[in-house]
Amino acid sequence: MTGIAASSGFEARIGYWARSQKRYDTAFRLGTALFALLVLVLLGGVIVALVDGAAPALAKFKLGFLVTEEWNPVTDEFGALAPIYGTLVTSAIAMLIAVPISFGIALFITELCPPWLKRPIGTAIELLAGIPSIIYGIWGLFVLAPLLQETAQPLLIESLGSLPGVGFLFAGPPLGIGVFTAGLILAIMVLPFIASVMRDVFEAVPALLKESAYGLGATTWEVVWSVVLPYTRSGMMGGIMLGLGRALGETMAVTFVIGNAHRIHASLFAPGTTISAALANEFAEATTDIYLSSLVALGLILFLITFSVLVLAKLMLQRLQRGLGT
Amino acid sequence: MTAILSPARPSDALPPLARPAVPPAGHAPGAVPDPAVKADIRNVRFFYKKFEAIKNISLPLYDRRVTAFIGPSGCGKSTLLRMLNRIYTLYPEQRAEGEILIDGRNALAADYDINLLRAKVGMVFQKPTPFPMSIYDNIAFGIRLYEKPPAAELDVRVEEALQRAALWNEVKDKLRQSGLGLSGGQQQRLCIARAIALRPEILLLDEPASALDPISTSKIEDLIHELRSDYCIAIVTHNMQQAARTADYTAFMYLGELVEYDETATIFTKPGKKQTEDYVTGRFG
Repeated sequence: MTGIAASSGFEARIGYWARSQKRYDTAFRLGTALFALLVLVLLGGVIVALVDGAAPALAKFKLGFLVTEEWNPVTDEFGALAPIYGTLVTSAIAMLIAVPISFGIALFITELCPPWLKRPIGTAIELLAGIPSIIYGIWGLFVLAPLLQETAQPLLIESLGSLPGVGFLFAGPPLGIGVFTAGLILAIMVLPFIASVMRDVFEAVPALLKESAYGLGATTWEVVWSVVLPYTRSGMMGGIMLGLGRALGETMAVTFVIGNAHRIHASLFAPGTTISAALANEFAEATTDIYLSSLVALGLILFLITFSVLVLAKLMLQRLQRGLGT
Repeated sequence: MTAILSPARPSDALPPLARPAVPPAGHAPGAVPDPAVKADIRNVRFFYKKFEAIKNISLPLYDRRVTAFIGPSGCGKSTLLRMLNRIYTLYPEQRAEGEILIDGRNALAADYDINLLRAKVGMVFQKPTPFPMSIYDNIAFGIRLYEKPPAAELDVRVEEALQRAALWNEVKDKLRQSGLGLSGGQQQRLCIARAIALRPEILLLDEPASALDPISTSKIEDLIHELRSDYCIAIVTHNMQQAARTADYTAFMYLGELVEYDETATIFTKPGKKQTEDYVTGRFG
């Protein structure tokens, strides 16, 4: 048996399989590419539908839509300022509360927690993230809002309400529901997301780096503040942005507790609305075309806001992976 | 092991400071006076959970001398180093037994202030670990933990440390740049500078050149030779030539036990134990 004979026999045996394998690979590649493209098509479809639906309202109100507080279905005058304001303010309150608490939680879990407690706390945070938002809404309306009305709000109104400079934020009657309560609910809802991203980011810090700092005699706080934080800066920003994205778009829980008033009040205790709350509340009653179109335009604005926040978050997370965030 | 160690081991129960410091049998390298015991490791054991990583080891570390720890991976040499500044206490499942007398006080005792210990015992790790901050701040960070010197004095301290670590000439024009931008060898010398900026008395080097190229490695070795005159240095290395080149004394460890400890020349030319000879000649490990 010569080498040539053997090799041609080999090709005869294997050739069929080699060719069909190539066919399978091609089919597989095309199939998965199709699924992936579907995502782009869906995204494009959503954008087209939003722009198309919003066109009449944007044509009628022009850029004034963005800066008008008036929202009057009777006279068909619509402006998005109140819901935009509400969306941004509730999210800002949520971030102000949730970020420091998440930071503390993540820090405790990664640096200070005894090993036996690590898993229970981690699981609890993940469970918190799994609670449906409608439950948060019901809880907020029936438990948190009355509680705030009786305790925290009167206290804040009495103490901070008379302070010059910031007093106006805490003026007015304690209603329980309102922008402040919505922000608080949002804070509770985004907290698990931010905390778990921060935990992962902290755990990505090389043990040797921390040991080097401890080895110089630094305390836990000094290590965290001077080494862990600068090292993880971009990753933390990514986590915060992820939480912010959720806070901006959250609908059900906010709709329950914000009061749904298309007004901008200086006081955080006054009722307000957010874009998503307005959409959830009013789609069923949007009787005129321009009303419906204005709601779709609100949706478009929300889409743009969350989209830019998520893009920002992605960019920051990329920076973390690329290097050390400095 | 005891036979070799006994000349260096005080058998009496005198207070450690009052003990005469006795070098191992033979002549100390160099014609300098007999070195003093800086850290006296006495009957230490170390546990990772239930696993005993170090089994009853005793040996002295001499001041102004370099002691190398060699042995195959997992023999406990890095662990022993990590006991000296109690860095293991970061991990709740690790614990140590025995005594390490530094200037006569047991550093393993709970009442030995851990931050003072770490100021006294500097450590450099396998990989360069510059902090994510400027070169200047990398050095100043440690100093600021203990003192709040005026800016001018801090500048002097930073320069002094960088000079000492043979890095000053390479970085003096870019002190405000990130320490992460330096090359691997420079980063490691930055870490050494950071450690000596605290003016420690003992310097622990845990495979300081294992991640570096040959040129950087030889710079680190030169540096160790320089620093020898001021510090008590303990170095863990996988590189036998490195131990032979840098160390005055060498300890060979195997599976958590100290097999042999003696002057480096003795360990590498006429070791007392077959196991040591096999290891240093490359027949096993």
